[in-house]
Formats: sequence, C-alpha cells, structure tokens
Amino acid sequence: MSSFLSSLPAVIVVLAVIAFLIFTGMRVGVRFLIRRLAGLVFVLIGVTFITFIMGYFAPGDAVLTQLGQRYTPERAAALRHVLGLDLPWYQQYFHFVVQLLHLSLGNSYVDNQPAVLTVLSRDLPASMQLGMTGIVLAVVVGVPLGLLAAVRTNTRYDTTAQVLGLILYAVPSFVIIPFFQILMIKLYQAGLPSLPVSGWGSLDTEIAPITIFGLGAFAYYLRITRASMLEVLNQDYVRTARAKGLPERVVLWRHAFRNAMIPLVTAIGPALAFAVSGVFVVELLFNIPGIGTDALTAVVERDFPVVQGAVIILALAVVFLNLVTDVVYGLIDPRIKTQ
Amino acid sequence: MRIEDSAQSPNPRQMESLDTVGAIGEMPPSSATIKDLGPASDTPTQLNQSELDRRAMIQDEEPSLSPFRLSMRRLRRNKRAMISLGIVLFMIIGSFVFPPIYLHLGPTISGGPAGLDKVSPSQYHNYTNQQLLYIDSPGSAAYPLGADGLGRDILARLMAGINVSIEVAFLVAIFDVGLGLLVGTLAGFFGGWMDTFLARFTDIMFAFPGLLFAILAAATLGAAFSDKFGPPGRLILVSLAIGITIWPQMARYVRGYTLQLKEQQFVEAARTVGTANHSIILRHIVPNLFSIVVAAVTLDIVGVIIGEATISLLGLGVQPPGSSLGLMIYDGSRKITSAPTEVLWPTLTLAILVIAFAFLGDGINDAFNPRSKD
Repeated sequence: MSSFLSSLPAVIVVLAVIAFLIFTGMRVGVRFLIRRLAGLVFVLIGVTFITFIMGYFAPGDAVLTQLGQRYTPERAAALRHVLGLDLPWYQQYFHFVVQLLHLSLGNSYVDNQPAVLTVLSRDLPASMQLGMTGIVLAVVVGVPLGLLAAVRTNTRYDTTAQVLGLILYAVPSFVIIPFFQILMIKLYQAGLPSLPVSGWGSLDTEIAPITIFGLGAFAYYLRITRASMLEVLNQDYVRTARAKGLPERVVLWRHAFRNAMIPLVTAIGPALAFAVSGVFVVELLFNIPGIGTDALTAVVERDFPVVQGAVIILALAVVFLNLVTDVVYGLIDPRIKTQ
Repeated sequence: MRIEDSAQSPNPRQMESLDTVGAIGEMPPSSATIKDLGPASDTPTQLNQSELDRRAMIQDEEPSLSPFRLSMRRLRRNKRAMISLGIVLFMIIGSFVFPPIYLHLGPTISGGPAGLDKVSPSQYHNYTNQQLLYIDSPGSAAYPLGADGLGRDILARLMAGINVSIEVAFLVAIFDVGLGLLVGTLAGFFGGWMDTFLARFTDIMFAFPGLLFAILAAATLGAAFSDKFGPPGRLILVSLAIGITIWPQMARYVRGYTLQLKEQQFVEAARTVGTANHSIILRHIVPNLFSIVVAAVTLDIVGVIIGEATISLLGLGVQPPGSSLGLMIYDGSRKITSAPTEVLWPTLTLAILVIAFAFLGDGINDAFNPRSKD
C-alpha cells in the first residue's frame, strides 16, 4: 500500500498524459500523434543519456564520499556493487532509466535521502509557481501590447515598445535584479513603502521575482506578436475584409488576430528557454527555495544525482510542454496534420 | 557581329541609350568566359531586368554598387548600429590594451597586511591583488571605481571580466560558425544522413533549453577540466558547452538558406559547366551565406555573453581569483546593502555590452537582410 501511495503522483501524471493523448488522438488523428510520439521517444533517450553520461564522467567517487571515515577496501567494493557502480556504462545507463521510471534516482550522496526526486519534489512547487506565473503573466501582458504596437505601426508608441522590447529581451534578469534591490533598499531606508528583496511564500515577496522572471519572455512575446500581426495585416484577406466594409474591430479580431495567434503558440518553446535559466538565476539572487537552488547547492557538495535530477525534471517538463504545444498547434491549425 | 569582336571593343557611349531598350545585349567583359560557356549563338542575348537596372544606374552617372556595398552603406547610415559598434570596439580594445597601461597609473599607497608597506599601482592595479585596508572603499585616486569586498580594484576586475566575456564569445563564435556552416551547408546541399543527423541532434539539444546543458556540463565536468587545463579549463568547458547548444540553430538556419540557394540559377549554371559539388559549395553557396551568418552570429554573441555571465554567476564558470562580470555581480549582490556600487559597475558594464551587441546585430540584420525588415 505504501509503495502504491509513493507512486501515486506518477500514476496521476501517467493517467493525465493518457487522457490528453486520447483526447487529441480523437481530434487531430492518430497518425499525427504517433509520429510526434516517435520523435519524443528519441528525444527522451537523448536527454537521459546526456544527463547520465555527464554524471558518469564527473570526477569524484560517490563511494568514497558516502563511506568517509569508515572506508575499507572491502566496504567500498561492497557499496560499489550495491550502487551498481561496478557495472559497465550501458548497464548503468539502463539502471539509471529504470530508476527514473520509478521516480527515483538513487540516493543523494550527501544526506543519503532515499530518492533524489523526492528531495527535489519538496522544492518543486516554488519553482513551478515562479515559472508558470511568470510565463502566464508574460503572455497576458506581452501579447496585447504587441498587438497594440502592430496596429499603431511607426507611431511613437510602436518605436518605444520596440526599443524597450529589444532591451528587455537582451538584458538578463540578473542585471535587473540588483537595480531593483538597491531601489527597494533605498526606499526602505527612506521610510517609503517597499518590497522585500529576498524570500518566498507570501504575496509581497513573490511579486518582484515573478515579474522580473517574466520580463524576458514578456519582451519576446511583445516582439513576436508585433511581427506576426504585421505580417497578417499585410495579407490579401485582411485587405478584402476591409474592402467589403467590415468594422475595424471585426477585421482585427476575427480575421487578423486569429491567424496571427498561430506562430505565438510555437513561441512558447523559446519562452521556456528563458524560464529555465531564469529559474536558476532568480532563485539564487532572491533566495527562493526551489529546485534551482537545490541543484546549485548540490553542485558545491558534488552531489551529482541531485544535479542530474534537477536537470532531468526541467528538461522533461520542457519536452512535455513542447509536445503539448505541437499538438495544440495541430488542433488550432488543421493544415499541419496533413503535411 | 562576332562575339569576340564586340567583347574587345565595348559599345560607344552614345549607343548605351539604345541598349537599355533591349536591342543589343552587352557582352561579358572577357572573351575567355565566353569560350568556357561553349559556342554561343550569334543572335543578341535578351537583357534581363537586373542588367537593365544596372545600366539605368550607369546612365544616371552613379557608380553601380554591389549588394554588399549597398548593405554596408545601409549599415553605416544606421546611427544606432554605428554607435553600438563604437561602444563594442571601445570596450574590446580598451579591455585588452588599457590594463598594462593601467598598471603604471595611480599614486603609491600604503598597504600590505598591516598597512606599513608602500604599494605601487603595478601591484594594486592587478585584478587579483588584495589590499585589506581598502575593502569596500569608495572611489579614490588609487581606486577609480573603488575596491570590492576583498580589497581588489573594481576597474581592473571589470576589464578582466570583459576580457573573459569577449574570449568566450570569440571561441563560441568560431565554433558556432565553423560547425554551423559545415553541417548546415552539407545537410542543405546533400540532404541524406547528414540532414537526419542534424534534425535529430537539434531535437535533443532543444530539449535542454537555454543554459541547462551548459549548467549541467559545468556542474559535473567543471572540476575535471580545471584540473586538466588549469584556470582557463573552466572557460574552455563553458565555451564548449555553450557552443554545443548553440550551433544546431545556426546549422538549421544555414541549411534553410542553402536549400533556397541550391535552386538558384547561378548554381544551376555552375553545375551545367561541370563544376564539382565542393567548389559549388565553397565558391557559390558559402559566399552568399556570408551576410546572414554574420548577422546571426552577432545576435548569438549576445546570448553567449549572457550565458557565460550566468554560469559564472551561478558559481560554475570562472572561479574566484579570476574575474568575470557574472562573478562580480554575484559578489556585489552579497554586499548590496552596505556597498551598492560594487554590484552596479559590473551590472552596468554587462548591460551596455549586451545592448550594444544586440543593437549591432539588429542593425547588421536590417542592412544585409532587408527582406526581414518590417
């Protein structure tokens, strides 16, 4: 029973995936789905293999770290055997994948917690909250502002939005964070209302990290939306819609925006790229207990299973979201599946 | 009229107005090229549109400009890009040339562990030198931008940090362009297994978004690399890791353009006269990729500089006695309440460097790929 309970999250995830697949299979066609899934298997093997091989070649001996003072050659050999470190690399890789399927990556070298992924799952919610809220905010704010820029091309608003977008897109979060923190400290010293500069768990501590985290993706969405909308606005069917006297509101929303939306769905991939490096930097500079902080602490302690676990979680999340994006793309643009 | 004759005696000036109507074709400048093309017919060739355009420009007494020159002119007129280019060059040249001079500037100060020794600028303007008396000191004659939390000169460390950024950017750019061009052109030109390999490899690398792969590599293999190659080992590893993640995008980009170029008439012409595949690629395709690759690599450098700074900031890149903008930002952010300027300098430097590169890349892209302008 306890083993069932511990694997409950996995069961829920698997069930959710299956439900999603059945739903999309009915909507966009099974062949489309199978082709995407075949590609996915390949990517999963690649990702797990790269993560595994990095840990395999990493210096430092897990056995020596765990035994410490109690080291004897016999104990070392025995522990090596228990951990499966005396096997050839391909068997170790197989072992690695099997453990991953059991939502465990062996023991952490440092505190000997039973399952690395359990350790990580403790800190996953903060990272998820940071990442998801940040990206959703970026989309919700970035898309309308991008649309406005496209509709008002070459006005002052448009140029401002473009320059601001380029700057925010280019400047990483760790450049913005110190400015923000200094400003807040000055405000605090002056007795004015200010936000805390570190921590997590309440609304006032979360506003700033989430906003700064979302800025890069926001700028990206602003630029993409503007470009995509401009392209659509130059199409013949938009001219036709205007020519037949439709109100501008209908032209923009029903004819232009619906078509401009299609590239925005694929733009979620690069936005996720911002998110992943952002997770590490924002968590570090704001002292947020998330898996980025976990991984960085683990690097200092040379606790490679935890590092591998964090990387795998992030990579798999991105792979899965990309698959969802792909399928959603098929749902909203029926031309894709016939290709 | 014989072809060779007309080629040796160009049309008189007054005939040119006739030519533009399309009556007589202009002959290529050298007769040798005509012989290469085999026997040509004696009938005048039809002028195409680009040739007519060229002549129209000659009639206006304006020199005809190659597309490259036109693009360069567009770039030069882009004020934002030119200012950015100036800033980039200033930072690169300054950070390599100024440090040796800087070692001879400044007063002799009293320093050392007990503050009793005389210390010359050639010591305290070294970016690793610590003067414990000057920890967190504000700007002064000896320390123009102040000293950091370990009593090291911030200006010297900034320049060393820019050096690191530029070195990594340069290494990755070579890797990126080299591998991207090689695999991209081959995959685009021949297709086949190279194309499949590129597609699969890109799929896998895309699953490691942003810097995840570089973070993983630096985290697991960093110690091994610095054992083997000394202090620059980490830089090599970071460059390699960023390079590995970045080149598939370049290769895909190049592949797409190669597919287009392959269908162009000049490639067809080259093939008709029996040019070997490798020289079609080297002589006809690669030169035409030049502008888009330059634009793409300038924009990639933005990501590389940020990437190196991020990895160093996370403590996985350049290790403490060394300097890097990311490392300085992290060190400074620990002191943000007591000495806020320490974090401001590297942050400002990085922001200026990155924005300058971004504007420059944007300008190059606009100048060389006018199609993507709007």
